[in-house]
Amino acid sequence: MKTLINQARALSPAAWSVIPRALWPVAAGLAVAVLMHAVVGPNVPGFTAKMMLVAGINIILAVSLTVVNGFTGQFSMGHAGFMAVGGYVAASITYYGSIKFFGSADFAGGALSWTGSGPHGGGPLGKGDLLFMGSCLVGGLAAAGAGYIVGLPSLRLRGDYLAIVTLGFGEIVRVLLQGTPDQVQPWRAAEAAETPWYSLMLKLGGPKGFNLLPTYTTLFWVYLFVTITLIVCYRLKNSSTGRAFLSIREDEIASQAMGVDVTRYKVRAFVIASFFAGTAGGLYAMDIGAISASDLGFLKSFECIIMVVLGGMGSISGATLAAIILTALPEILRELPPVWPAGLALLAVMAVVQGAHRRWHPRSLVVVAAVTLVAELGRRYCASQGINLAEYRMILYALLLIVMMISRPQGLLGVREVWEIFGRRARRPGAVASPPGASSGVSP
Amino acid sequence: MTQFLQTLFDGVTVGCLYALIALGYTMVYGILKFINFAHSDVFALGVWMSITIAGWMGIGAAGQPTPPLYLALLVLLGTMVTCGAVGFTVERLAYRPLRRAPRLNVLITAIGVSLLLQNLGQRPFMFGPYPRSLPTLVESGTLFTVMGVPVRVSDVAVIGMALVLMTALQILIFRTKFGSAMRAVSFNTRTASLMGINADRVISITFIVGTMLAAAAGFLYGMKYGGQAKQTADSMWVMLGLKAFVAAVVGGIGNVRGAVLGGLLIGLIEFFGVAYLSSQYRDAYVFAILIAVLLLRPEGVLGRATVEKV
Amino acid sequence: MTDPSPAVLDVRDISISFGGLKAVQGFSLRIPPRALYGLIGPNGAGKTTCFNLLTGVYRPDSGTVALDGQRLNGRKPHQIAAAGLSRTFQNIRLFGDLSVFDNVRLGCHLRGSHSISGTVLRTSYHVGQERAIAERTFALLELFGLAGRSFEQARNLPYGDQRRLEIARALATEPKVLLLDEPAAGMNPQEKVELRALIRDVRDRFGLAILLIEHDMGVVMNLCEHITVLNFGETIATGSPEAVQNDPKVVEAYLGTE
Repeated sequence: MKTLINQARALSPAAWSVIPRALWPVAAGLAVAVLMHAVVGPNVPGFTAKMMLVAGINIILAVSLTVVNGFTGQFSMGHAGFMAVGGYVAASITYYGSIKFFGSADFAGGALSWTGSGPHGGGPLGKGDLLFMGSCLVGGLAAAGAGYIVGLPSLRLRGDYLAIVTLGFGEIVRVLLQGTPDQVQPWRAAEAAETPWYSLMLKLGGPKGFNLLPTYTTLFWVYLFVTITLIVCYRLKNSSTGRAFLSIREDEIASQAMGVDVTRYKVRAFVIASFFAGTAGGLYAMDIGAISASDLGFLKSFECIIMVVLGGMGSISGATLAAIILTALPEILRELPPVWPAGLALLAVMAVVQGAHRRWHPRSLVVVAAVTLVAELGRRYCASQGINLAEYRMILYALLLIVMMISRPQGLLGVREVWEIFGRRARRPGAVASPPGASSGVSP
Repeated sequence: MTQFLQTLFDGVTVGCLYALIALGYTMVYGILKFINFAHSDVFALGVWMSITIAGWMGIGAAGQPTPPLYLALLVLLGTMVTCGAVGFTVERLAYRPLRRAPRLNVLITAIGVSLLLQNLGQRPFMFGPYPRSLPTLVESGTLFTVMGVPVRVSDVAVIGMALVLMTALQILIFRTKFGSAMRAVSFNTRTASLMGINADRVISITFIVGTMLAAAAGFLYGMKYGGQAKQTADSMWVMLGLKAFVAAVVGGIGNVRGAVLGGLLIGLIEFFGVAYLSSQYRDAYVFAILIAVLLLRPEGVLGRATVEKV
Repeated sequence: MTDPSPAVLDVRDISISFGGLKAVQGFSLRIPPRALYGLIGPNGAGKTTCFNLLTGVYRPDSGTVALDGQRLNGRKPHQIAAAGLSRTFQNIRLFGDLSVFDNVRLGCHLRGSHSISGTVLRTSYHVGQERAIAERTFALLELFGLAGRSFEQARNLPYGDQRRLEIARALATEPKVLLLDEPAAGMNPQEKVELRALIRDVRDRFGLAILLIEHDMGVVMNLCEHITVLNFGETIATGSPEAVQNDPKVVEAYLGTE
């Protein structure tokens, strides 16, 4: 019998063809990033642009958590802890690196990361950008390391215990970070320049937070990372590794019996998710210009979980949508426009799509109609009473979580992606050139 | 020596509070096999209900003398009843529809309930978004001094009340007919139902008892720390609840005696850590213990290991 | 190996007890290559426990298991699967939310190498491997008559198809020995006849040894060359189907004493 490995060799495309496949995500990332930076960013109100930036960071967080909570079915409640690790490491490298290399903690980037008012004089990239990008990646690696350390021993634990341990990890990270010494202030840069790295790196501001960081994070960088995160996670999902993740979620014992090294794959999922959470932490810190461990406690982790759960346990596009919606929701709720046009439009689209596929889901139509009606009535009532709905958003989220778990436990999309809703769940993968059986290794 | 005794005493007092909360976690886990994340919020609710009920009764306003003991007990009773009602409602509306759902779904629902209680509690029509100070319900004077350690009335009340409640629970579980029904449901819900036990009713009552214990812990907490109660969405409540949960796990989750033992253990570890190591890492000690226990003896000190059937 | 006759699976004297219950005691079995062996016994005799011991779900208290001369004792289930021992489950354990196709593809997982970097960068090796996996999976599904249902969720398949899908998934791991736990359970007579042919065909085509647990005597007696009978964890008879059928101890175990 021909082994799979031999068969794989025979079917491998030429080695050089790896280059475009490996590089197009970067190209796509750059294209999206430039689009966001040059076209979308300048043409929307400043506040909207800011929201888009926050949404981008949330997308990275939600999608990366999907790898652990959605694909692998492990329940991590310490995502903010990994974000904090990455964020602090990135902030520390950028801040003290700027002081060491450039002499001050001021912004030293190019036009792509210019967040100040007015146009930036210099070229698109500056020396600071390199430091910033490098620090985000190192932050991601540090978080991945933390993910490995947490993952390896605790993944032997059953689901709900794991949830508690990861929650405990997040809290320990927070407590440790809050116990660090004061940061070296920018006006004492000369002193900092003489202090060795290892002692500087630990001066993270303690309970006051790590402040006065140069701000580099722009729509460009965020959406570069968002695109790469999305493509990487999508590729992982649609591969042997991704199937191994999913199989663990489905049935751990069967998965083992089929030869999946369950512990190893759980750790892998943890490391990957932590890496992206870490980079998101870096982007977050250098967006606000400060990072504080007290903001990255379990409430932040809960927020990530809500996004994953609402989007669908295992759906990348679902998590992305949920991140966007939940970021925008407080703002939308503040002055809620009439809901019924959107509901009506959604109904029409659903009807058309379902008609075209000749697959009618009357229940889904009724649900959408009912939700629209209730939402519209609620909106009118609140508007007439002068109630600010944004204050009630956490209550809404909580109710949404409960109702969702009871009525649709797999989340909005389940494991499917948006474009798979009406199609078949999996497409026939790879072009199978020869008729099945002819060149296969199954016949003796 | 005095410091040692003081730490020991403080550790035991706080340990009793943890134990009372841990009992709720452990009872629910024992019977439904999931972590009731909202339990810490019931505890917070207990503190706030005590304040509110005391307020209705006109206790604790400035210049008022300390009320007689029976009034304080009335407040305790009121708190326990309201929280029990909340526990019942939550179980009925949120958890019962998920009886056959995967555990993860129930856990997420519990997180939802927790967020709901936290944020509802902060609304102006509930307790409001600001911390409030607790009224003095029991005289806070020193009762007597042992080797330089002052023993206050509130401490004695905490320990005494905790002992009474734990004994009552012990009797309920091991000496009554309802207790044996509870143990049967915990052992195997389906078989218990076939034996004519109304499992839903048993589960409901377990929830009520668990939340009442947490409410009592809330009342006692209010008595001991007569300072300020943070708003319900403050992370401190979740932290306290988590420590109690850790106590339940350390003792062996699902095991009532284990919860008491774990509570005392966690209280002592926390206070000795603070007294002799550093107060900065207070929360880290507890979680370090949790992780150590889960890795070395995942079933807890008094728990039993379970094997999944293939 | 001291024994001259080659055995692909060599089980010697394995025992396990849970608490005071001796679930399996001194179980031994030598399966030659390309053989079709059966394991029968009344309910609770310890048959599935034997499978769990062989595949590493439980660790035997004593005794050894060897596959092709490799000792399997103390290995984890995934390592045992890698060594070439694959199984199906009595209470079907498919990945219900995944497609039929993905279930079998997961079985192919074992024989590939899956680096994160290769997956993320889509190296030529990775692409070739995914193609190979897809081809192999289609071929297997075709063989099992499931190709038409490739993209349905495994949980939506009829019962008989689920059983066959489990066998296909187990075969995808390229085993040397296949353990089937009650493959005919829940099938109708027609399906059982087809299953018999299928199991023989699988054995011939893939050249592997098969050990199956079965309650349906028609299937066992027809299919197996050699049968072991368990009762209360102990081997009470072993031999050809005819010999076992006429063994008084077996009759007693199944029908009880007078």
